[in-house]
Amino acid sequence: MSVTRRDFIKSSVAAATAATIGIHASQNAQAATQEAEADWKWDKGVCRFCGTGCGIMIATKGNKIVATKGDPDSTVNRGLNCIKGYFNGKIMYGKDRLTQPLMRMSNGKFDKKGKFQSVTWDQAFDEMARQFRKTYQELGPTGVAWFGSGQYTVPEGYASVKLMKAGFRSNNLDPNARHCMASAVAAFMQVFGIDEPAGNYMDMEETDTVVTWGGNMAEMHPMLWARVADRRLSSNHVRIVNLSTFRNMTSDIADTEIIMSPNGDLAIQNYIAREIVKRDALDHEFVKNHCVFSTGPYDIGYGMRATDKYAFNAEKDTQINEIRHKLNKHEAIAQRRQEGEVVEQKNTATAGNHWMISFEDFKKGLEPYTLDFVAEVAKGDPDEPIEEFKEKLKLLADYYADPKRKVVSFWTMGFNQHQRGTWVNEQVYMNHLLTGKQCKPGNGAFSLTGQPSACGTAREVGVFSHRLPADMVVDNPKHRDVAEKIWKLPKGTVNPKIGSHITKIMRDLEDGSVKWAWVAVTNPFQGTANAHHWIKGARDMDNFIVCSDAYPGISAKVADLVLPAAMIFEKWGFYGNAERRTQSWRQQVSPPGQAVGDLWHIMEFSKRFKLKEFWGEQKVPGLKAEGFADGKLPDISQSARTMGYTGEETLYEVLFATPENKKMKWPDNAVAKGHANHVAEALGDGWFPEKAMFEEYASFGRGHGHDLAPFDVYFDDKVRGLKWPVVKDQTTGEWKETHWRFNAKYDSYVKHGPFEFYGEAMKDLPSGDLDGVTDKNKKNLHGKAKIFFRPYAAPVEQPDETYPFWLITGRVLEHWHSGTMTRRVPELHRAVPSALIYMHPKDAEKLGLKRNDLAWIESRRGKIQARIEPQGRNRMPRGAIFVPWFDEGVFINKVTLDATCPISKQVDFKKCAVKIYKA
Amino acid sequence: MKLRLARLLQCALLFTAVNICLADGNNSISDSELGLSRSDVKDDPVPEAYTFNPKFPGTNDFLPRAYLNAPPQIPHNIDRLTPVTAKNNQCKGCHDRPQMWGTKRKGLPTPIPESHYTDLRNDPGTVTKKLIGARFNCTQCHVPQAITQPLVENSF
Repeated sequence: MSVTRRDFIKSSVAAATAATIGIHASQNAQAATQEAEADWKWDKGVCRFCGTGCGIMIATKGNKIVATKGDPDSTVNRGLNCIKGYFNGKIMYGKDRLTQPLMRMSNGKFDKKGKFQSVTWDQAFDEMARQFRKTYQELGPTGVAWFGSGQYTVPEGYASVKLMKAGFRSNNLDPNARHCMASAVAAFMQVFGIDEPAGNYMDMEETDTVVTWGGNMAEMHPMLWARVADRRLSSNHVRIVNLSTFRNMTSDIADTEIIMSPNGDLAIQNYIAREIVKRDALDHEFVKNHCVFSTGPYDIGYGMRATDKYAFNAEKDTQINEIRHKLNKHEAIAQRRQEGEVVEQKNTATAGNHWMISFEDFKKGLEPYTLDFVAEVAKGDPDEPIEEFKEKLKLLADYYADPKRKVVSFWTMGFNQHQRGTWVNEQVYMNHLLTGKQCKPGNGAFSLTGQPSACGTAREVGVFSHRLPADMVVDNPKHRDVAEKIWKLPKGTVNPKIGSHITKIMRDLEDGSVKWAWVAVTNPFQGTANAHHWIKGARDMDNFIVCSDAYPGISAKVADLVLPAAMIFEKWGFYGNAERRTQSWRQQVSPPGQAVGDLWHIMEFSKRFKLKEFWGEQKVPGLKAEGFADGKLPDISQSARTMGYTGEETLYEVLFATPENKKMKWPDNAVAKGHANHVAEALGDGWFPEKAMFEEYASFGRGHGHDLAPFDVYFDDKVRGLKWPVVKDQTTGEWKETHWRFNAKYDSYVKHGPFEFYGEAMKDLPSGDLDGVTDKNKKNLHGKAKIFFRPYAAPVEQPDETYPFWLITGRVLEHWHSGTMTRRVPELHRAVPSALIYMHPKDAEKLGLKRNDLAWIESRRGKIQARIEPQGRNRMPRGAIFVPWFDEGVFINKVTLDATCPISKQVDFKKCAVKIYKA
Repeated sequence: MKLRLARLLQCALLFTAVNICLADGNNSISDSELGLSRSDVKDDPVPEAYTFNPKFPGTNDFLPRAYLNAPPQIPHNIDRLTPVTAKNNQCKGCHDRPQMWGTKRKGLPTPIPESHYTDLRNDPGTVTKKLIGARFNCTQCHVPQAITQPLVENSF
């Protein structure tokens, strides 16, 4: 057959499309496609970007990726991808990939003030280990820290936890997922006693009402939004409500848009609850059998430093609120106090405490949240008439209260990055639990995830300063016992003191309490708010910072040692998405140059340490725990010897290449089907590290409601990931996923009654009233969820005469996070070349600024330049600007505030005050 | 300085780039020479101004696809055609032309293809005449291109 190149490309595209949708294509076109793809190999994979977890198909030719497409067999995205998703292959081919270790040197030696020079892997690890030992000997386990990631694969995340917690006996390991999901997690644990959503993506097709709260799904979860849009456009009775602080792409398909003030969501949700109670729209049976009422303290601070010692002068008036806070008019009404009252923030360290209250107290708490009051507090667009706003609030309450209407609420960063993030998450469960609209098909509060494995790795594996795998925590002695047994380590190995969260690690570097840090699969020096402090901490303090990355971002630029990492399809891996779906992929191509997967970085580094270096007594300032001397980890060398260790073993041998793990052999052709594994080959001792790490990790959750199927099952050609708990069907022998948790119809873990919230965390509670505990005796609430009353509180920093604008930051559809991957794809770069200042046209006019004009954005913390956009996808109310953070050239985190939710420790990137002026 | 940057970039084209550079006598790289914004992390650089293709629909060449089957980019200005809303999808006004399937001619709107009229979730075997809701938000996959150079070359 003869076809011209042009015909060939044309017909090949047509036929590929035809093949995807299963319709007839001409024989000529089919033949041409077959010819085009004759030497392509297709394999299944997962998208590298957001928490949606779209399935993709990857085509390779030789050792190169030549195409990717949405996987038609994936129930998540059914053959579609968003514009980022289509460039999963291309992100790996930017010409400035890091291909060898780089270290700051002068005269052939490490020098913190030196320039980068290339070094061998041996030189890199030698210096890294030397610096580690120096700090460990001086400061102990709390002097070292590790920035982990919700973009780690499951085996990588697990290895990081094991090396840090079991090997180095330190809990200073925290992921970028702290910035993205911590408030969601804290609320899951407090409300349900177990992490992650009850429902799944099928809720989108099952529901009648979609409410998005501070989550611009159309840009941040485009393929989920495609499902919501499809549902709305094909069913006339379906309604979408978008609550946001500005008009965005999600509003464009919504039926109702509610523009609210920053923190207005806290008041709106209490208004809805008050209406539900007032209208007697409660599901009494559900509430009585499956729920209790609860509350906690209000004087919890804002997660800032408790001292102004390190604050710039201009920051001090914001920082003082961490000590004492003067209530404004709205807070006074909302919290039943006096306007102007100065409240000492006494519960900053005990912000998560909570107790049971009566239904009567719960109602009393809601009483101030009338329509008039809430409309005044929460209206976000100064140009909207208040009566119109009230009508919308009433409509929203109607939707939640209507027993015949199914409702799904979605949110992401608007709730999670919030100075009261845990509260606002708990409030959404409040309304779903009151109405019984939870864990049923089409009904539920559904926390969406930002990162591809914030759920699968960061949360489930426990890459956090307080966590162990499978929802366990370091400050629970029973949980430490379980971990030490699985890890075959002496009792007392695991440090019971919670380590530093990600923002605190930055503060620790600034004040010198951490002097060695490892950054992996994340870019925290671009991604952490109030960045001037942290850049100073990295560059001007005496410390050693390692950055494992594929491309040089801001974190590599401030590091002392840069290690080149393999990217997604250059290695084997697993990600877990927002609906509890664990998905896998094989290595498709080899990494460039000397780049190697992060799993190898971790394991290779562990070879440089012996057990005896860590098993002596270690100082841990502030440690207080039952069975431990104050401020110390015990010497465990004696009990280690009775277990058969000599102390001469390396951490690699004890933690990773154990006799058990080495039984999982590489090569493993049954799973690999011809695919290579550069990590196994680089280790070179005949085992399959990804499989061994996965299986060892899975042993934590099996039988405890976190069950995963065996490793090999995920690689079956027919499987497109499985939603945990994955339980073996005793009759068919098949591995069955769980669609809706806590509901007896779908979840085999429910043993009693139609619904059972079987999570075990925080289920022993004292009792009290809205003001505090009155009965310290704890009662167990087994099987029940908590309906929290949480009050309105104002954002700690608000616009004033000097800084008259709200600054809101976030993402754009076309770029992923700090842009290190997507900005290296020319098509994506040209789609959104740099971060803009979205601003109301009247505000721009008032400031004498036109589209594309250069302006300064200045806060108490710093200033940067960017260009004005008074139109486009984000349409701001007067008084607020939006600036995305993907662009390292528009380093907006030099301006943002590092206040956090005091319970979850997640930074609020959505609210600080700035001024704007022409540059 | 410029020359050295160019040279570094050139070297980075090869996977053993830095090695070659360094062996060449240029034996160190400062942090401000790394990354996308070639500046010191403490600087506040001026972001470049850019504009999108100002041309109206019907007056442009097609843009090349990134690879076989990749979604085509938008070759015309869409400032006045967006946002795509439930009530007003101006993309459809020109491109929703099932009768033109299989044709693609300069000066005429490229018809939205058959695949977009097939409900892959519920009825994957049938081509309808109605654009599927999951494909309604055109700009989730198709984006215009600004007149600007790539920050870094890409060898995909």
